[in-house]
Amino acid sequence: MKRSVQKKVCLLGDFAVGKTSLVRQFVEGQFDDRYLSTIGVKVSRKTVELDQVQLNMMIWDLVGGNEYLHTERSYLMGTAGALIVCDLTRENTLDAYARYTQQVRAVNADAVIFYLANKLDLTAERQITTGQLAQLCASLGGDFLLTSAKTGAGVNEAFTQLARQIEGE
Amino acid sequence: MPSGESVLASVQSILLSQERQQIQELEQQLNLMRCQTQVTIEQLQGRTGELEAELDATRLALRKAEAQARDLETAVDLLQRKAQADSEGLIERITPVFSSLVSRQIRDSRDEMAEALGPVMSEAIRVQIRDSRQEMVEALSPIIGETVQRAVGEFFREMQQNVDAQLRVTFGPNGLMRGLKARLRGVSAAELALRDSLSFELREIFIIQQGSGLLMARYHLAGQETADSDLVSGMLTAVRDFVHDSFSQPDVEAADLNEVQYGDKRIFVQGGRAAFVAVVLTGIEPAGFRAALRQLVDELNVSYERPLRAYNGDPATLPVLTPLVEEFVANVLAEPAKPHGMSRRQGWFLIGSMAGLLLFTAVACFYLQFTIALYPIAFPSATPTITPSVTPSLTPTPTPTPTPTHTPTPTLTVTPTFTPTPTLTPTPTPTLTPSLTPTPTYTPSPTYTPSATLTQTYTPTPPAAAPFANVWVRREPSLDSEPFVAVEFDTPFILISVLGPWAEVEWLSDLPWLPGVQRGWVPFAWIQLRTDVLPMTATPTPTPET
Repeated sequence: MKRSVQKKVCLLGDFAVGKTSLVRQFVEGQFDDRYLSTIGVKVSRKTVELDQVQLNMMIWDLVGGNEYLHTERSYLMGTAGALIVCDLTRENTLDAYARYTQQVRAVNADAVIFYLANKLDLTAERQITTGQLAQLCASLGGDFLLTSAKTGAGVNEAFTQLARQIEGE
Repeated sequence: MPSGESVLASVQSILLSQERQQIQELEQQLNLMRCQTQVTIEQLQGRTGELEAELDATRLALRKAEAQARDLETAVDLLQRKAQADSEGLIERITPVFSSLVSRQIRDSRDEMAEALGPVMSEAIRVQIRDSRQEMVEALSPIIGETVQRAVGEFFREMQQNVDAQLRVTFGPNGLMRGLKARLRGVSAAELALRDSLSFELREIFIIQQGSGLLMARYHLAGQETADSDLVSGMLTAVRDFVHDSFSQPDVEAADLNEVQYGDKRIFVQGGRAAFVAVVLTGIEPAGFRAALRQLVDELNVSYERPLRAYNGDPATLPVLTPLVEEFVANVLAEPAKPHGMSRRQGWFLIGSMAGLLLFTAVACFYLQFTIALYPIAFPSATPTITPSVTPSLTPTPTPTPTPTHTPTPTLTVTPTFTPTPTLTPTPTPTLTPSLTPTPTYTPSPTYTPSATLTQTYTPTPPAAAPFANVWVRREPSLDSEPFVAVEFDTPFILISVLGPWAEVEWLSDLPWLPGVQRGWVPFAWIQLRTDVLPMTATPTPTPET
């Protein structure tokens, strides 16, 4: 029987990049087009079966934007990993990668960070190229994945890869 | 000699015999196949005939169906026109049928109906509330009002029962204690009884890592556990952090979130360096609960700070925290409420009460001493001089079978110096010893009630006596009873009772092996009375008092 381990994971990114939708797709397998801004934080849980352990991911979906930056630092305490999300249809959301990386590193230097580029399904409106992403993530020292919370593309892979990196598998 | 032709024919026949045979076989097979083909063709022709017949029938049926469809279309058209013309009548006609169908469906497939109608109903109610709020309020208010009334009624009934239970002990020691406790707390006894009547229930305890919000340990009562305690601990941490960060001020020590209330549940939060504890409870917590919780958190953080701080989500790295939590639960549930620290006013009240009590005691002692000292002066003839008329002739009634119903009604002739006719009313108490030996222990408790305003209580002293000479004392008034001690001449006796020739006496023994007050039987003839014997001990036929 696998041992059960609990880890805290945070989702970061600018407002409306689809953080909550990603969590909902990963945890519940659902997607809703309506946009509801997250107030403060929403904690969800999903168990991921890895080779060695059963990882209970406590996913902290944090409010987007800079309004609650001070509080976010508290929310990041004890996090084992972070998913930093940008919106492929809004180029300016890419700036959040560096900003949130710095913030996570300030709280926990050993945290595993994974970069997600969401809204892959909106191909016609895409503004960020894969080359841009690769170049930026290489400079930040992390991997990235293209995801679509709507279709579910890359969502499970993103969380599972993060879980594997946290557990060192 | 055969001719060349015949030879040639012979050679041909020899060479072509096999081919000819094969040709014949092929011809036979060909014939067979022709026959089979013929049969198949005939069968197919028959089948084709059947299909053509079916096709004709189908065409006919189709024509009929088309005719029926046209008829139906006409009928529907007619119905639509009728419905448009007379919708009310149609509703009346359809409603019973529709209701019956729905009722049957609900009865047969209740769950499916609920699943099908649930979302529609919810949406319909939402829309109806949005569009016709007032109508919905009017429609629902009787139902909701009744529900609320019932819930409130049940709550008050339960509370009333609890208050009744509290009030039942009002007049006992517990009630007095409650009154005192209430005074000390600065509330009325009724308020305290009401507070005590609200039940307290400890539901869950979470030990959560500071910062990460990871749940490290959980305690819950059976059937009281939260569905997803991990999420609760996470959200609780988030809310706590939010409150902490939002309301903290520079240069002021930040306060933590201490309590969250949800419905009838309350969540007490007590922070610590490495871990904080959240306790979910209902009702009013007992006094001292917060202090006990603080102690638990301190103990956790002092004893296990390093492992708690280093916790990375792997429960195997955690120490066993359950005993500490269980001890806390046992203490909280078992210990009666300890009063909080007293306020200044309560302290002064307590000091004042104690000072008053001491003063009262001192005054009472002084008054008592003063009264005792002055009593003989104030009432010089208060002590009655009782001179009973002696009736030394003892007339016992020795009966072989002792009858404890021996109830003498003695007459005491008193000559008081201050009242004309004092009345002595003794209360004899005959006692039967277990060996059924008559021991008519007669303990008169006469109450001397003079007719004057002064009331005195007369307690007669048992008659004193002494033996003429050294005398054996026995346990029983019989010569068969072994003497257990010899009493010296002139030892002061108290005459307890007389039974026939025997006298029951009591004396103070100074023998080392039989010290203290002793009691036994001696022959009456061997003792000499030193005081007058009251007639009550000797006169079996009482004379009514005059």
